[in-house]
Amino acid sequence: MAETPRVGVFVCHCGLNIAGVIAIKELIEYAKTLPYVVVADDNRYSCADPGQEQIRKSIENNKLNRVVVAACSPRMHEPTFRKCVMETGLNPYFFEMANIREFSSWAHGDNPEQATEKAKEIVKMAVAKAVLLQPLEAMEVPVTNKAMVLGGGIAGICAALDLADMGFKVYMVEKGESIGGHMAQLDKTFPTLDCSICIEGPKMVDVSRHPNIEIISFADVLRVDGYVGNFKVKIRKNPRNVIADNCTGCGECRDVCPVEYPNEWDMDMGVRKTISVPFDQAVPLVYTINKDYCIECYKCVDACGARQAINFDQKPEEVELDVGAVIIATGFDIYLPTDDQRYGYGKYDNVITALELERLILAAGPTRGKVVRASDGKKPHSVALIQCVGSRDVNKYEWCSGFCCMYAVKNAILLKEKYKDDVEVYILYMDMRTHFKGYEEFYRRARELGVNFIRGKASQILEDSKTKNLIIRAEDVALGEPIELETEMAVLCTAAIAKKGSDEVARIFSISRGTDGFFMESHPKLKPIDTPVDGILLAGACQAPKDIPYSVSQGSGAAGRAATILSKPKWKIEPIIAVVDQETCQNTRVKCAICQKVCPYGAASAPENQPARVTPAMCHGCGTCVAECPTDAITQMHFTDEQIMNQINAALEANPEEKILGFLCNWCSYAGADLAGTSRFEHPPTLRAIRVMCSGRVDRDFVLEAFREGAGMVLVAACHLPYDCHYISGNVWMTKRMQALKGMLEKLGLSPERFRIDYISAAEGSKFAEVITEMTEQMKALGKDRILAENEKLRPIIDRMLARKKAKKAAPTISASSK
Amino acid sequence: MPLKELKTDTENTLTIERILHTKRYSLTLDKTLCVGCEICQITCPREAIEIKKTPKKNGEKAQRPIFDVSEQKCSYCGMCEPICPFSALEVRVDGQRMVPVLEKESFPKLIREIEVDPTKCDIDCIDCQEVCPLNLISVKILAPGGKEISPEEARSMPNKENLKVKVNIEKNLSPCCRLCELKCPKGAIHVRKIMHGILRINLEKCPDGCQDCLDVCPIPGALYLDESDRKVHTNETFCVFCGTCTIVCPVKEALVLDRRTIHHTPVSSGAWNKALEKLTSAKEYSKEAKTKALTKAKKMAEKRLLLKEAS
Ligand SMILES: Cc1cc2nc3c(=O)[nH]c(=O)nc-3n(C[C@H](O)[C@H](O)[C@H](O)COP(=O)(O)OP(=O)(O)OC[C@H]3O[C@@H](n4cnc5c(N)ncnc54)[C@H](O)[C@@H]3O)c2cc1C
Ligand code: SF4
Ligand code: SF4
Ligand code: SF4
Repeated sequence: MAETPRVGVFVCHCGLNIAGVIAIKELIEYAKTLPYVVVADDNRYSCADPGQEQIRKSIENNKLNRVVVAACSPRMHEPTFRKCVMETGLNPYFFEMANIREFSSWAHGDNPEQATEKAKEIVKMAVAKAVLLQPLEAMEVPVTNKAMVLGGGIAGICAALDLADMGFKVYMVEKGESIGGHMAQLDKTFPTLDCSICIEGPKMVDVSRHPNIEIISFADVLRVDGYVGNFKVKIRKNPRNVIADNCTGCGECRDVCPVEYPNEWDMDMGVRKTISVPFDQAVPLVYTINKDYCIECYKCVDACGARQAINFDQKPEEVELDVGAVIIATGFDIYLPTDDQRYGYGKYDNVITALELERLILAAGPTRGKVVRASDGKKPHSVALIQCVGSRDVNKYEWCSGFCCMYAVKNAILLKEKYKDDVEVYILYMDMRTHFKGYEEFYRRARELGVNFIRGKASQILEDSKTKNLIIRAEDVALGEPIELETEMAVLCTAAIAKKGSDEVARIFSISRGTDGFFMESHPKLKPIDTPVDGILLAGACQAPKDIPYSVSQGSGAAGRAATILSKPKWKIEPIIAVVDQETCQNTRVKCAICQKVCPYGAASAPENQPARVTPAMCHGCGTCVAECPTDAITQMHFTDEQIMNQINAALEANPEEKILGFLCNWCSYAGADLAGTSRFEHPPTLRAIRVMCSGRVDRDFVLEAFREGAGMVLVAACHLPYDCHYISGNVWMTKRMQALKGMLEKLGLSPERFRIDYISAAEGSKFAEVITEMTEQMKALGKDRILAENEKLRPIIDRMLARKKAKKAAPTISASSK
Repeated sequence: MPLKELKTDTENTLTIERILHTKRYSLTLDKTLCVGCEICQITCPREAIEIKKTPKKNGEKAQRPIFDVSEQKCSYCGMCEPICPFSALEVRVDGQRMVPVLEKESFPKLIREIEVDPTKCDIDCIDCQEVCPLNLISVKILAPGGKEISPEEARSMPNKENLKVKVNIEKNLSPCCRLCELKCPKGAIHVRKIMHGILRINLEKCPDGCQDCLDVCPIPGALYLDESDRKVHTNETFCVFCGTCTIVCPVKEALVLDRRTIHHTPVSSGAWNKALEKLTSAKEYSKEAKTKALTKAKKMAEKRLLLKEAS
């Protein structure tokens, strides 16, 4: 450290919120005794203008280079005071906050004496950290103002068009031969019954004509490097064996081609030629030869003639795109229940899925719009639509697939309108879910048309081997008895499931998926479009089943989110990140790469035989790698080992065996503790809390050091498992690490209750108070003697464990003890 | 209905089917016609056909190889149907006989040239009928007025010049071995072989006592056992070059079969060129390519070259 720290401590009255409980004068006098503190002062409202002005003046007058404000929670005013400090020319990271309101005056209102004692130690810990603070610079990275949209369904189309209209260049990357997605497979759409392709088709064409959009279809994403504002995406264009620029889409080649194969687009109900487009409205309208089936007769070459569009020697081509933001809109798949004997799908000819029914009703489909049975090619006179096949089933897919009720109602209406009284339509359902605008009215229309709604889940479908009719067994909830229904066709409304290949996409983009396999948003309510990786956004059914209006809205939403990045020439990055010391990293000598394994963001990379590196713009600053690194080669800025150790020392200097040392993660448990204060949930003032951004940051050494110094109890509190962690998986790694340590310490004689790992959400103020109360009672029950005895036994062992590291590192240059 | 791919094996047929909601394809092998040669296997562009060697039991005669086809791999292009010398295969689309590659002129038919002049026939001669190894010939004697009579009746008839002979040959099933032509005492039959080539046995490599090739050959006389050296010898005159023998021959290079030409209807198709290349030696293929002037394959190659140079 170049200059000697000169710390100023400013104690806020917060009106009577703090001053009504805590003895301010006494606290100030105490603060003055702390090392490096050159001035301690109070003000009524530090956050108000006069309060800030007082701090700024004091910094100038006393040549302060560290500032501690003892007031409310840093979650509240840390940004305010950082700014205040910065205005004097001091680095904003030379600021530390002591939370004496939520953590003391509010939490221990009826015990002013102890609240004051606790406040003193909170200030002491803040000063201990402050003296070791280092200046940090917020980084800025330039932003490439282009975007990539992955997946050309309706969600991706809307996102691309919006961004392009805002003036940004967009690459639309589609895996299939054509954009359009599921919507292009549908007949009419609920609740207005517009023809699906008639409303989507023009949008598809808009995409292809837009000067700012480049469609890259029949392509796969291979890898993604970089970070927000600066992604490099490598893409492989697969060979169509047709030169896109020369192909006019006339289809003369298709007419002469002899070989046919099942058309996936038609759910394999019809066929397409080996050289063809999946459907007539395909965009881009470029033919493709399926080499798997092509016999290379070259009839198509003849037909194509002078246009010379066919090239059997096309090779896969790799391109690299530079983009600032990525919108993932890869959609969903439907479940094909071939594995469920009960429904007879694949076994009985006249059992089909709802998507197959869409293809049959559709005038451009394989039957030119005729609904016919596979067994005899005849129109069915009765059709049963069976809801929740695979969905809402704890043994299969737990979730509700969202749009099936509505499309079942739609298809029932379409059948009724098409065949009138010549067809009887039944819908067997568990619950009819028709919320949103116009949906309930649509449901009523179906009932008015005479569609039979039967509440009950189909339990089995059997076939009459002679007529090939189906016998559907169900429990009729209204009648309260089992029923049997014979129909000529059964349509299974099957679950919407995660798109095949989502695992690969998740891996390439370092984004996460829920247990359901769909991509995870950053926050279910407040960040439903963002992923945890900055600059990568989600749209449409790839995040969860969504109908068209919802997918379209989210597509536009994602475009808006992307534009907030693309419209800036530079993107600011929080400097609280992990940095690897290239010398200490052992990856050069042994295969380690632990940091790479644990980083939830793919920010840490440790190529073989090279020291690990963390890409600053990708690092979110959870600190998991820092805690996991076996050689302590990684430092988390603003939460360094030395700073935290100094806080531990400060907290445990006096009467450690009467205290709980707690590590609270910023987003859940620290917020929960704040809430306990805000809600005035009284609890004993025994906790000395250290804030970390993520519980993943809590190093084994911190816990060891706490017990070495004689702590009565240690608490590590995190967000709830498995999904609440703000950093995806920090809490998971913490749990693994701490469970192992706990087991070891218990073997060495530590009473199990003395080391607690718990999960407290930001809403669980009461749980926080209960945990602290319970731990305090346990501590009392164990008794000081027992604790002292256990510590005595543990100390030499811990000393030995820590000595190895101590030897390597110079002891903190600035001690926390009083002058 | 999801796609169904079925396979049904009965005593006399093997059928595979691809059933879609709106279309149905099938390929059927008539086991009574199939000799287990390799022609279809070589031709199939999807490698869907497997000709399986039947394991030989000790002391027993060699058995003909068995045809198998994968219902997953077959694309029902139909190339195997017209190329089969014994016409053992049949492709149907929606129940109707239809060979997609013939429909779109992407593949030729074999030319089965068999001509008979029954006016030359002796009235009671049925040599050809008897010699045909596949029972494809029936000889009829017609009395004036068209009534069919037996040879005995014919012999006892006075005015033999009024009788007519009718020789019926199921040409479509014929591999054109020429046995009938050479057997006919009157030179009434002319057969042009479908395939020509070389069939040789390397007597040095051919193991003593082995006659596996002879045991499976569908055409008597194409291979024969010479009593003098107790070895099998060949007679290319009758050989139809199906290749069944090459599959069962236990010793490498003991038996050499080299197809040289295939008699087929004219077609301009890369698929045929490829099949021809595989069925015959590459040298022969290039000869055909040359004589038929520029094929598509060559044109394509040139086009590609030009493109490359231009860019
Ligand atoms: C039977 C049925 C009937 C329906 N009827 C209606 C209706 O009437 N009204 C209504 O509002 N909704 C209806 N829906 C829902 C509707 O289909 C969805 O809301 C809509 O398709 C979601 O659009 P999307 O763009 O999110 O996904 P999708 O339509 O699934 O499009 C995703 C696109 O991404 C591409 N893709 C996938 N993976 C990759 C990858 N790795 N790389 C590149 N590209 C990739 C796909 O090829 C596809 O083009 C129905 C759904 C079903 C199953
Ligand atoms: S070369 Fe292939 S794609 Fe072209 S017509 Fe022949 S089978 Fe069809
Ligand atoms: S683990 Fe956390 S701190 Fe480490 S590099 Fe990844 S995001 Fe940054
Ligand atoms: S039909 Fe075509 S793909 Fe099927 S076995 Fe015959 S040659 Fe092979």
